[in-house]
Amino acid sequence: MLVNVPGPWSPLLGRLALSEIPYTNPILAPLFVVIVLAGIALVAAITYYGKWGYLWKEWFTTVDHKKLGVMYIILGLVMLFRGFIDGLMMRTQQMLAVGPGDNGMKAMGAIHGYLTPFHFGQIYSAHGLIMILLAATPLLVGIMNIIVPLQIGARDMAYPYLNALGLWITAAAVFLIMISLFVGDFSHNGWFGYAPIFELAYSPGVGVDYWIWTLELVALGTTLGSINFLATVVKMRAPGMTWSRLPIFTWSAVSANIIALTSFPCLQVALALVGADRYLGTHFFTAGFGGNLMLYTNLFWLWGHPEVYFVILPAFGMISEIIPAFSEKPIFGYTAMVLATFAIAGVSWIVWLHHFFTMGMGPYVSTEFSIATMLVGIPTGVKVFNWAATMYKGRLTFSAAMLWAIGALFLLLIGGLTGMMLSIPAVNYMVHNSVFVVAHFHMMLLCIVYAVFGAVIFWFPKVFGFKLNEAWGKIMFWLFSAGTFLVFFPMFMLGFMGETRRLDWPFDPHWAVWFDVQEIGIVVYVLSVLAFLWMIYVSIRDRAHHRVGADAWGTSRSLEWLTDSPVPFYNYAMVPHINARDEAAWRREHGFSQSRPDHFAAIHMPNNTGVAVYIGALTFVIGFGLTWRIWWLTVAALILTVLIMIYRSGKGDPGYVISAEEMEKLDRESRQNMSDGQQHLPKGGGYTGGTVTAYSAAASDQRPQGTPPGNSRPLS
Amino acid sequence: MSHGHSNPIEHPEVQMASRGSYLTGFIIASLLMLAATILVSGQVLAPFPLLLTIMGCAGLAAIAQIYFLLHIDISEHNIWNTVALVMFIPLFVITIGLTWWMFSQLYLRTMPMIPGMPGMH
Ligand code: HEM
Ligand SMILES: [Cu+2]
Repeated sequence: MLVNVPGPWSPLLGRLALSEIPYTNPILAPLFVVIVLAGIALVAAITYYGKWGYLWKEWFTTVDHKKLGVMYIILGLVMLFRGFIDGLMMRTQQMLAVGPGDNGMKAMGAIHGYLTPFHFGQIYSAHGLIMILLAATPLLVGIMNIIVPLQIGARDMAYPYLNALGLWITAAAVFLIMISLFVGDFSHNGWFGYAPIFELAYSPGVGVDYWIWTLELVALGTTLGSINFLATVVKMRAPGMTWSRLPIFTWSAVSANIIALTSFPCLQVALALVGADRYLGTHFFTAGFGGNLMLYTNLFWLWGHPEVYFVILPAFGMISEIIPAFSEKPIFGYTAMVLATFAIAGVSWIVWLHHFFTMGMGPYVSTEFSIATMLVGIPTGVKVFNWAATMYKGRLTFSAAMLWAIGALFLLLIGGLTGMMLSIPAVNYMVHNSVFVVAHFHMMLLCIVYAVFGAVIFWFPKVFGFKLNEAWGKIMFWLFSAGTFLVFFPMFMLGFMGETRRLDWPFDPHWAVWFDVQEIGIVVYVLSVLAFLWMIYVSIRDRAHHRVGADAWGTSRSLEWLTDSPVPFYNYAMVPHINARDEAAWRREHGFSQSRPDHFAAIHMPNNTGVAVYIGALTFVIGFGLTWRIWWLTVAALILTVLIMIYRSGKGDPGYVISAEEMEKLDRESRQNMSDGQQHLPKGGGYTGGTVTAYSAAASDQRPQGTPPGNSRPLS
Repeated sequence: MSHGHSNPIEHPEVQMASRGSYLTGFIIASLLMLAATILVSGQVLAPFPLLLTIMGCAGLAAIAQIYFLLHIDISEHNIWNTVALVMFIPLFVITIGLTWWMFSQLYLRTMPMIPGMPGMH
């Protein structure tokens, strides 16, 4: 090849060799055994119960946006857990290693703490990449996937097959980063990478290559998804769903996906150039030969800052759906909300430089970007006031989802204010690259995680037909919040005390006490993870008691609450006609919530396909082959991918048609199923009344069948 | 997925696509890239004129790709393409323009000057 890789290379296996598997590592080797055993147990269980066919037919080959969304969310939750374990390891290392002197565990080969610097570097790099791109992004994409078509009254996404492709390419990225645990090692230069340390001369291993191809894959999957979302909202809205009636969450999805579509290609180009340096021997980002180190940082953050808004805007959208439902009021200032969303999206394009003020481009440039960054605060402030005004004089129900949404607001406040501090260059010079910055963006990203948990609890009954256990949802909320407080407030303190980020050996003994507090926080986080798992278990066990009707909360507002719960695969038996901005609330208040379609028409649905799974698997092989420089494998997988794509394009998907009679039957069964689950419930709400909103134009005596959240069963 | 939608082959953007235009776009873009590569690797020009020349090549390649490969133009039949074009211009100015400004300020402070650049010594 054009570059000489250090170390052995063979045509058959590339750089791969048995010695690349870290079977002597005292952490990874046992973990590997555990994972292999768990994997065998899982495969055995699926085989024993004969579920392979079911999984393949119903899930792996599906093009149904709801199932794809559920799989996105499961993927995101698994990676959230993996990222959390990374966090736990980093916190423990710093707690053990703090202070001068020789406190390392010799058995592990560490001079300080229990991790070697090389291992610690891989952990923080993987943690950042995983949390932002493989946990937060799939969680948000998954929720958008489920909710956006429902909110606009569509039967599916505009391109159902493309949707599946996006999921499986993202899954390929997940597998690639997971396999880097056990085969070779991962990058150690941070989640965003530094030039020139990622050049082959300074990072001769495969770690950086894993990093490049994981990012490339997830960027590809997300770009495809964003095209799909935009086409869906532009083209697939139900009759009457004008732009001015679009639910806020869908608006936020539109803005976020415009950002994704325009910014992810930047990341792909930046990484392709890094790849060219490492594989072809070019000099884009080297220190000599005409290369420019800072160009990389510039290109990366040109994507990086829009990306942070790509993840926060859908979270804002979720908060905007949860708060009105549990305040029993429409959102305050709809138009202002939409404009603010787009203002944030627009400004997000002109601020990326605040990530490297300290590079030294002088006062004029810094001033421009400082002011632009502060401008973001205006639309964000508009949103916060709108949420507050929505709650003002509302009839508040502090359900678990509402708690998460309100919690998100507090984190947004702290994160936003510290962001404002960071956007002042003079302040930034003091705290840049300290853990103060780390605390800032964790406030922001946790704001997203809070919104996601709120959204999961809020929309879970829509997708599965029963509610999650409220009490355990609240317990988890309080544990999680305590953990957040204990881990991240000390981090702000440590930032002011001068702790730089990514220290495998925090040398200053004055920091010790804050590390201990953080470690306690991590323990509390662990408890919240257990509470989450228990909540899932209890909810599934008692699902018969928590079945819901179409309008699960009794106070819901937007269109998705009109169709049955769980949502049938065709979403709406007849495409609904939209009359108002909050369609479900409008129908409830005008006494139409029980009305059903009076006739049915044949509908056209897409077929399942395995092609997306195959292409996903092949992209994984391409990433793996490139990482290890196994050229024949890469080329073979690439050719196969192209052939499969050509084959699929030639064949197309005629889809299938469900006749009107069949639709009527399906609709009747779905209804029946839903009301069977309702037998045990009293009609009409509980203590909130559940229906008559304080602001309804015309209260009706139609009682929806929702249960107010307070009625759920006690702890078990 | 609504049923009985008009034939996708009849959509204007599909109608616009032809083998000829794809090939033309591909050939023009490749030739421009080749020209830039030869200029750079042969060091045919002084550094600053070289920089301007390859930037010119890049600009032409971008226009060729937008027109021949993406079929984005300002004609009326395809409103969304025009919207995409209108989106593209501010983004282009922002990304390239602000980056340029930033680097020029940075170089003023940190780099030896590129020979041949006007206004610098
Ligand atoms: C009010 C809005 C915000 C302002 C004014 C702001 C400001 C800043 C500034 C100035 C920095 C650079 C700090 C430094 O490195 O010295 C920064 C870093 C960061 N911010 Fe924000 N920010 C805001 C919102 C957000 C949001 C919404 C997110 C994500 C959801 C976010 C995520 C991040 C991340 C990930 C970093 C650092 C990345 C890294 O260095 O690894 N910020 N922010
Ligand atoms: Cu930023």
